[in-house]
Amino acid sequence: MANPVIKSQLLAQALHRHYSRNQRWGFMWALWTAILWGVWYVPSTALWFEHPYVDIPADQQTLRLAATAVMTWVHAITVFLFLLLWNLVLGKVKDYGRTMVRFRKISKWYALASLCGGPMAIFGSYMAMGFIGPVFAAVTSLFYPVIGAVIARLWYKEKISQRAAIGMAIIIFGGVVIYGPGLFGEMDITNNHAWLGYVGGIMSAIGWGTEGAVASRAMDVSDPDVGIHCRFTFEILFWGVLILPALSLFTDFPIGSLIIDTITHGKAMLWILLASACHAYCYTSFYKSFSLIGVGRGEAIGNLYAVFALIFIAAFTLQLPAWYFVVGLVLTVLGSFVMFSEPAESIANLREVDNPAGPTPGQMEGV
Amino acid sequence: MKLHQKGYLLVELSKAANLWDYQLINKALFEYGESDAYREKTLRIALDELAAAGLIKRIEEKLETKWGKAKLYFRYQLSDFGRTRMQDTGLLPTKNKE
Repeated sequence: MANPVIKSQLLAQALHRHYSRNQRWGFMWALWTAILWGVWYVPSTALWFEHPYVDIPADQQTLRLAATAVMTWVHAITVFLFLLLWNLVLGKVKDYGRTMVRFRKISKWYALASLCGGPMAIFGSYMAMGFIGPVFAAVTSLFYPVIGAVIARLWYKEKISQRAAIGMAIIIFGGVVIYGPGLFGEMDITNNHAWLGYVGGIMSAIGWGTEGAVASRAMDVSDPDVGIHCRFTFEILFWGVLILPALSLFTDFPIGSLIIDTITHGKAMLWILLASACHAYCYTSFYKSFSLIGVGRGEAIGNLYAVFALIFIAAFTLQLPAWYFVVGLVLTVLGSFVMFSEPAESIANLREVDNPAGPTPGQMEGV
Repeated sequence: MKLHQKGYLLVELSKAANLWDYQLINKALFEYGESDAYREKTLRIALDELAAAGLIKRIEEKLETKWGKAKLYFRYQLSDFGRTRMQDTGLLPTKNKE
């Protein structure tokens, strides 16, 4: 029979391995989010250079926003199809149905998450891009983990350790270093519509930050792979049943012809398919990371997209980023390591609820 | 329609004072007519997620060797937070405190 001391040492080692594995998977999913989010910028930017989007003049902001709504809807449908494929392979399609039908108590949170991350954040981001500039939009989006972490903290007491907060701050600062200098060339104080851009920037940070916290409310009791599928189902419905029909009925925008032109134009659809493949699995990784390392950490590591986006854009356009990119890169990587250096045991329990941190042998009750 | 799997795990745990993971997993595999190792792993991950979110807590653990391989098992219990969350999400009826 094994010595009790050795037995308890072996148990302690096995526990540490178990928690470390979960921590590693959580950070790995979050890193995949960042990589795929970075890649996503390439096909989604290329889409604007294809018919029918290339034909819309840059100064027709409202038409561009309407076109964005069409593009986002078609994109959401293709994301849904990629997620269907994912859940078919994982054998979770039945669970998707079982979760969707519990709308009043569970899937309504995914509906709200889709409103936050879809119409609010994406529309806000495009407003920031259109009325101030793309750099401003990128910088404001970088602050979404702060919003997510604060909401998760206040709403369901997610633990944000000092080390996690420092890591998060370093990553955000790194992102600002990457994009910040570009702001000086972009800000124009004579622009009367700039306030719309500021509102849009705030909408995108609040929208994406809130999405994680709201979705986690439902993910407490449901599967993340299924959850993301529910979220995109609702996004399709919001755009397809409410927003686009409203735009078509109450405005003169050519919504119908934009839809037909998009789906009948091979190159536009190719870029949409590539973008949605990235987006589907980026979001899947995003939601999976929340349930293992929490909303605050998942979103902060997801912020590394700032680095990957520039790397992939540089790889495809052969335009090297400015020197300060390296400083931002070092900072974001450093911030990630600070976060990853947290003890795995402290991440084994993400909430300050009635649970002790980690297991406590001896509290056993009879079955 | 059957409950979604995470919901089922929570409901089963709410019916007992506590359960070992393999007991919960066996119940779930039987309920959904599944049997393979992949399904078992998926359910173990679901239990890890529920524990990380604080809905269930690990109250005991043991290391057992099966076919020459050491495997870690956990005994789980529904937490007060988990019970509240189950009531919020309609998995448990809301009832007055005793």
